[in-house]
Amino acid sequence: MSNFKRAPLAPAPGSKSILSTLQATTMIDSKPTLPAEILVTILDYLPVPDQMRFARASRRLKEMVYDDTRWVARLKAMGCWDEAEARRRFEEGMRRRREREAAAAAAIAPAAVGVGAVPGTTGAVVPPPRTSTTLFDAAEEEQQREREKDRRAKQVTEVRNGFETLKVSGQPPPQAHKDPFHDPEALLDVIKNARSIRGLARQEYGKIYGALAPFYFDLVNSRSHADPIIFKVFRDPERQAQMLANLHTFAKSDWSTGWQQREDKLHSMKTIFESAVLREFEQGYEYWDVDGRMRKYAHVLDVLNGATAGIELFIQKHPIFTDKEVLMNSMDCINQAPADSITLEPSRVFFEVLAKKVNEQAGIMERIFPRPGHVFWTFVDKVREDIVMEYTTPLLDEAHERNLLSYLKATSGLFEQTMQFFLTLTPPKGAKENLEDKAKELALRIFEPHLDLYMQEELDYFIRHAEAEVGDWEKKLSEQDASVESFYMGNFNRQADKKDFLTSFKKVVMMPVTVLPTSFPIASPFGARTPVPATTANGSSLAAPSPQPSRPQSPGIGDAVPDRKGTPLPDGLKAPTDELAAKAALMTSRLEGIKSLFSIEVALNLVHAAKSSLGRAAVFISLGGQAGGEAREQCESIFVNLLRTLGNRHVKPGFEKAVEHLSHYNPRDVVDHNKAGVAPLVTFIELVNVGDLISQMIDVFYEQQLAGPRIADRNDFLDPSGLAKKKFEQMLDESVAAGLNKGIDVLMDEVEYICATTQLPTDYNPLPPPEKNNGVTDSDMGPTHTARRVVELVSSHTSMLVGSTEKTMLDVFNGEVGLRLFTAVCKHLKRQRISTDGAIKLIADMNLYFDYIRKLKNNDLLDYFKALRELSQIYLIAPNHAKEMATIIADGDRFGGIFRAEEVYEFAERRADWYQVRRDVERAMYGLECLVM
Amino acid sequence: MSDAKLQKILLQSNDGVTIDVGKSPPLDIGFWRTPPSLYRAVAERSVLIRNMLEDLGDEGIGNQAIPIPNVNEAVLKKVIEWCDHHRNDPVQPADEEADTRKKTTDIEEWDQKFMQVDQEMLFEVILAANYLDIKPLLDVGCKTVANMIKGKSPEEIRKTFNITNDFTPEEEEHIRRENEWAEDR
Repeated sequence: MSNFKRAPLAPAPGSKSILSTLQATTMIDSKPTLPAEILVTILDYLPVPDQMRFARASRRLKEMVYDDTRWVARLKAMGCWDEAEARRRFEEGMRRRREREAAAAAAIAPAAVGVGAVPGTTGAVVPPPRTSTTLFDAAEEEQQREREKDRRAKQVTEVRNGFETLKVSGQPPPQAHKDPFHDPEALLDVIKNARSIRGLARQEYGKIYGALAPFYFDLVNSRSHADPIIFKVFRDPERQAQMLANLHTFAKSDWSTGWQQREDKLHSMKTIFESAVLREFEQGYEYWDVDGRMRKYAHVLDVLNGATAGIELFIQKHPIFTDKEVLMNSMDCINQAPADSITLEPSRVFFEVLAKKVNEQAGIMERIFPRPGHVFWTFVDKVREDIVMEYTTPLLDEAHERNLLSYLKATSGLFEQTMQFFLTLTPPKGAKENLEDKAKELALRIFEPHLDLYMQEELDYFIRHAEAEVGDWEKKLSEQDASVESFYMGNFNRQADKKDFLTSFKKVVMMPVTVLPTSFPIASPFGARTPVPATTANGSSLAAPSPQPSRPQSPGIGDAVPDRKGTPLPDGLKAPTDELAAKAALMTSRLEGIKSLFSIEVALNLVHAAKSSLGRAAVFISLGGQAGGEAREQCESIFVNLLRTLGNRHVKPGFEKAVEHLSHYNPRDVVDHNKAGVAPLVTFIELVNVGDLISQMIDVFYEQQLAGPRIADRNDFLDPSGLAKKKFEQMLDESVAAGLNKGIDVLMDEVEYICATTQLPTDYNPLPPPEKNNGVTDSDMGPTHTARRVVELVSSHTSMLVGSTEKTMLDVFNGEVGLRLFTAVCKHLKRQRISTDGAIKLIADMNLYFDYIRKLKNNDLLDYFKALRELSQIYLIAPNHAKEMATIIADGDRFGGIFRAEEVYEFAERRADWYQVRRDVERAMYGLECLVM
Repeated sequence: MSDAKLQKILLQSNDGVTIDVGKSPPLDIGFWRTPPSLYRAVAERSVLIRNMLEDLGDEGIGNQAIPIPNVNEAVLKKVIEWCDHHRNDPVQPADEEADTRKKTTDIEEWDQKFMQVDQEMLFEVILAANYLDIKPLLDVGCKTVANMIKGKSPEEIRKTFNITNDFTPEEEEHIRRENEWAEDR
């Protein structure tokens, strides 16, 4: 080989490069011989027989050729080398060797003493020669024994120095076949039987090579397809196929020069064979010879190459694809339905028939093919593509063109039917795939092209619908906007008992919420604007036997309420029909007022539309994966849009309007104050009720439609639908709070107005009546008319909110109302002049206020009114007891710290006889003070 | 330094001949027609030279010739001829060896002709390709050798590769029997 000699010269000064060093070296060349690694590369390009001759050239070359990795690579290329198996065998071999060594060592142990004593005379002393050897001899003995055993087994691998010696469990590998024609059966399985043993890869490959190479090269060199001996040795097509498959595998380990041509040749031969078999199969197919030829040749094809071509042919020519019975016209779904709608009955029939046919075929496939599972799913896939998609796609396209709603319905409905169809399939035994997964996959493939469009359309449709609903309502509203104000007033004039109405109202309003989870009655009970027949239809459908046909009116709500709920309205049930009808009409008219702000009916419609959209879209969630995720997102965005439309477009403006009405309210402009409520405030509070109802409705909807079927995650605080819901509720609360704030102002204005207008000067300061005895006893006992009116007014408003708003908000509201009422009463009191006689009345009034406030269960508030009650007593004191009066005025504890002495003094000034008692009082007060000081 | 100068690469064979890959190409292949930008491509068919150029940089090389110590002029010219012909071949990624084995294709015609030289030259070219790390050339060489010894007897093989027989006749016969399965029939 080459060898380098360093030049004696020092490197030229100034050249720093290593090149100069290289230049300074010279090489003495010898006759070219190739180094080992190049020889190895050359070996790779050699055919196997040449490699073996190569091995015979010298020991070094033999080692090279015999190198195990070289043969393992070939086995691997054929896919019959199992690394795990090789390792197991190797470890087993190691273990066995260790055991043998241990056994040998144990046998030597007793002799070791003797050996130590007489080192020179080994082996001769002790009778059994095998056990008396030294350690070194034992190892050699071991080898000898092995050799002997090998010889006995007439193993080919007699000489295997340089190889890892491994024991092969069981029989030694059979001799390479001298003549494969003698044992053709063994040839078939030669590849299957190959073992993975380290150190014996060459022998294993040799077995395969010995068996297959003759056929392989014969086939490659043959000129016509009748020539190869393979077809002469094996007559049975199944075996021929097996052999060809083996050769195909074998060809993979052939990588010496020219392998490509050989493989091509093999391939073409295989193709010829395959087409011949296919022809047979086809003939069998034409005669529908299921258990005969079809079965036989399907197995042959399966052995050859997995029967892909056979399956293709089977499916391609399958009669189901031309079966008139199966191929239906999908337009039936549109044509059989009334205009602009769609019926899915024909498609249901279609899928039913199809499922029956396909399941029939499953049985046949089981008879024909050795691996029917694969065939079946390929078949189903083809059915999906050619039959199902041919059916659905035009239908959906047509529906999309004709009517959007029917398109949406069709998509969702067909999807469900398709899923059902796939799930009813019964794949033949031995199919590995999970039916459900497969069904999802296939259904997804059918609907994938439609899915995006559908989801978009569904959302658009819903948004459009919602906008239209709200817009429609707004339009109607603006049409009658001009008359709204008077309309209100007109309504309230007719109102008889506000409180009574409200209880019934609440019951009616609450009801759909309780019904909601199960059936979702669309038409709201407030059918004022919807055509009356619709409402009755709804009512009667729910309470079919009860409506009395004799009733001439159609009180939608009136009869629906008691029937449906069974809750006795205060007077609804026992009242005569006419009154009931009147009641209903009254209620309707009341609600009309609310509707002008926002309508629960609209809200119900929206929720219903959302529900149906959601229901349609939610079907697709079952697909799972990306499509399922998209469907889920779409469902959530439908919900979010529902809330956005309902909240921002509908409820919020309503509240704003109501608040505006409230702020414009001026009690002095209103002519009639006989009623117990302040019109805009009542409206507003009703609005709060309705808002609360809508909120509850949304909540139930969310629970039922989103959280229930796991579309939205209740615990995920980032979930868009959950966020939207919270936002909606927050908006509602804010609106209510803002409105209530205004409402209190208005309420107090009204209180003040009542006080100012209805309180007669004589109430607290009665004229000395001529007939003193009668008048006083009769009229003076009990609170004044004004006080009653005020309490009634306030309490009716506070109680209206009970149950519809949050408890805390209600408390705040009541507290504020109470406090403002207190201020109002104080102010009012300071304007009056009160005589000792009138004081009785005043005390009665104050008691009335106190009683009312006590009902609110607010202790802080109660203190104020207690003080007020105490205060009123100063008017009762007779003028001649001015001193006591002074004591009371100065007694701060008496009023619980609510009034200071100055304030009480101010109140005392309102006594009718103040100027008479003033001197005495002041004297008593200041005198007392002086006395104290 | 000008561009053209940058591209100039001098190779020096072991018998002291400097070959300018740019300026004095072997005339028989029309090397002078090669545009300057390709000189480098030619030299860089060799992984060894490419790595060296990358490591040293243009300044490190300057105008010095790169010595190729174990290749003589004739062989070096032969190798450059091959590199020039194959300068546009895609550079093969250094793959796993086991996978590329099956991908080996037959020798293309030009290479076959190129390899029609005496055995000594062939071996020299293979050695040079091995030294310069020109994998495709090495492959072609090996294939040629493989074709050469196909069907030859062990004795002929020994002669070809200058190998001495260290088997006894019995041992040789044993190996033959052991691998009888591989005999051509």
